[in-house]
Amino acid sequence: MPADLDTLAREQLAQVLRDRPDPATLDAGEDLAETYGLTSLNKVLFLTSLCRAADVGLERFTEDDLARMRTLGDVVEAMRPHADQKG
Amino acid sequence: MTASILNRIIAERPAHDGVLTVAGLGHRRAMPLAELHDRARAVAGALRRGGIGEGDRIGVLAANRIEWILLDLAALMLKAQTAGFEPGKFTPDAELVERYGLDQLYTDAPIPDGAPPAVRPIAEIARHADEDPPEIHAPLWEPEDCTTVKFTSGSTGVPKGLEATVASIDSSLRDVQGMFDHRPGDRLLVFLPLSLLQQRYWLYSALRWGHDLVVTTYQSVFAVMPAVEPTVVMAVPGFFDSARRHLEGRLADGVDAAKAAAELFGSRIRYLWTGSAPADPAMLRFFTEAGLPIFEGYGLNETCIATKNHPGAHREGSVGKALPGKEILIDADGVVCVRSDHPVNTAYTFAAPGESERMFKPGGLVRTGDLGHLDEDGYLYIHGRSDDVIVLDNGKKVVVRPIETRFRDTGAVAECVLYCRNQTGLVAVVSPHPGPVDRAAVAAALAAVNAGSEPDERISRVITADEPFTIDNGLLTSQFKPIRGRILERYRDRIADPKEGLHAR
Repeated sequence: MPADLDTLAREQLAQVLRDRPDPATLDAGEDLAETYGLTSLNKVLFLTSLCRAADVGLERFTEDDLARMRTLGDVVEAMRPHADQKG
Repeated sequence: MTASILNRIIAERPAHDGVLTVAGLGHRRAMPLAELHDRARAVAGALRRGGIGEGDRIGVLAANRIEWILLDLAALMLKAQTAGFEPGKFTPDAELVERYGLDQLYTDAPIPDGAPPAVRPIAEIARHADEDPPEIHAPLWEPEDCTTVKFTSGSTGVPKGLEATVASIDSSLRDVQGMFDHRPGDRLLVFLPLSLLQQRYWLYSALRWGHDLVVTTYQSVFAVMPAVEPTVVMAVPGFFDSARRHLEGRLADGVDAAKAAAELFGSRIRYLWTGSAPADPAMLRFFTEAGLPIFEGYGLNETCIATKNHPGAHREGSVGKALPGKEILIDADGVVCVRSDHPVNTAYTFAAPGESERMFKPGGLVRTGDLGHLDEDGYLYIHGRSDDVIVLDNGKKVVVRPIETRFRDTGAVAECVLYCRNQTGLVAVVSPHPGPVDRAAVAAALAAVNAGSEPDERISRVITADEPFTIDNGLLTSQFKPIRGRILERYRDRIADPKEGLHAR
């Protein structure tokens, strides 16, 4: 299991964003679509990259799960149980 | 006369091993196409018991799912017509049923109170599919019969409805097969809405030629692709732009190009198909150089696929040569006209007075409104849309599409749409990339675009949209094209206010 899922998530989100902001500056409570302009396509790309980096199977999530992931914090919380199982 | 492909696929249970997979995040279901045929017959039987038959019209307002496919095939078997409505853009209510003369409307959307009994939950179809399939003695479709109504997107008003003839569908299927030779072992992936008839072509193609088909949604496609290992991906340029940005990020991380491409697309890609909107030449080059050949084509709803680059005839910068059943003519105004041996139709079924006459001309000719030219070998090059022409007060016509494309291709913005409201200069509304707006990059892009433009074509101001244009916020069509009218509506005040936006120096 990755040492710090939150850090991994920040790094992967920063990579999807056009100007690659400093991962530490991303606000885990902000809306991914409204604040960071993440489109549906890019949201799945972000989740795909994060799952790969965290060694969590993407098949564990449904489209409804994805719809509920509105913030970076939501994504980390949704991933955590699966990442813990890997540990 | 050549036998109809549509009549063949509904009459004959497939004897090949082709498989349909319907997949999304967290679910995947595969079934042999022969089983799909059985299940579609069961659905046809249930529809027939419910009173649906030849000449009736079934509306489908639902996201991509197995029931959509079953309904489409079942309707074909009964010689009933389908009308595919794009999810999120229509409401399954009495007005929709009335306006388009629907005998039934199946939907996965919440059914509003007061909806007529003709509006049914599409989940019903799954139950019917489990019944024993009856023998369906399908009445034959004639070449001029119309199997479906397709709706033009991109309009600010009521969508125009166009019925598509059997002959046009057969002709397109046959011509595409001649160019790409889809065969057993191929796996075509589609994720754009099945309400677009062309997405359903690949279902008909799979039934006829025995290749596999994967159907997913645009929300899931990047998650599904590597798992299902497609050989062909059908998508619009906007999708490939996103994929390219992702891959460039992986390359910057030191990942090998072939590995990065396989992570995203799977490892079996034979080619990528694109069209419906102008493609960035740099994007096309990127994929070709990454070992993923990409072929751009051209066509409108009203013409179906008119030209296509393909492995046997491909010229960079062009949208390919005319399909065998099509002829490209350039009229005196430089507008691309398409003549079809088997026209999609000769008029809209649902449109305001005068709209059919503007588009459809005698002799199976469609005046596309796009400007272009043919080279000496018959390859077509698109310059811009004639309805995207701004006429300045000095009488000069400015074709805005190439300027918009140049702005977009700077990489500073995701999309650019130009207006000229007060004849005081061009004003751009740009869709930002995800993340904080890089104003310096937008200013640099503005300067660069203006430096390469004629005086009348220079942009005076740039307004950055409050949020990226998306399908969800109604500013992009389902094929990722900006919807000019709606963008204008949303930003009208700022476009008109000379103090607003970033000014050119």
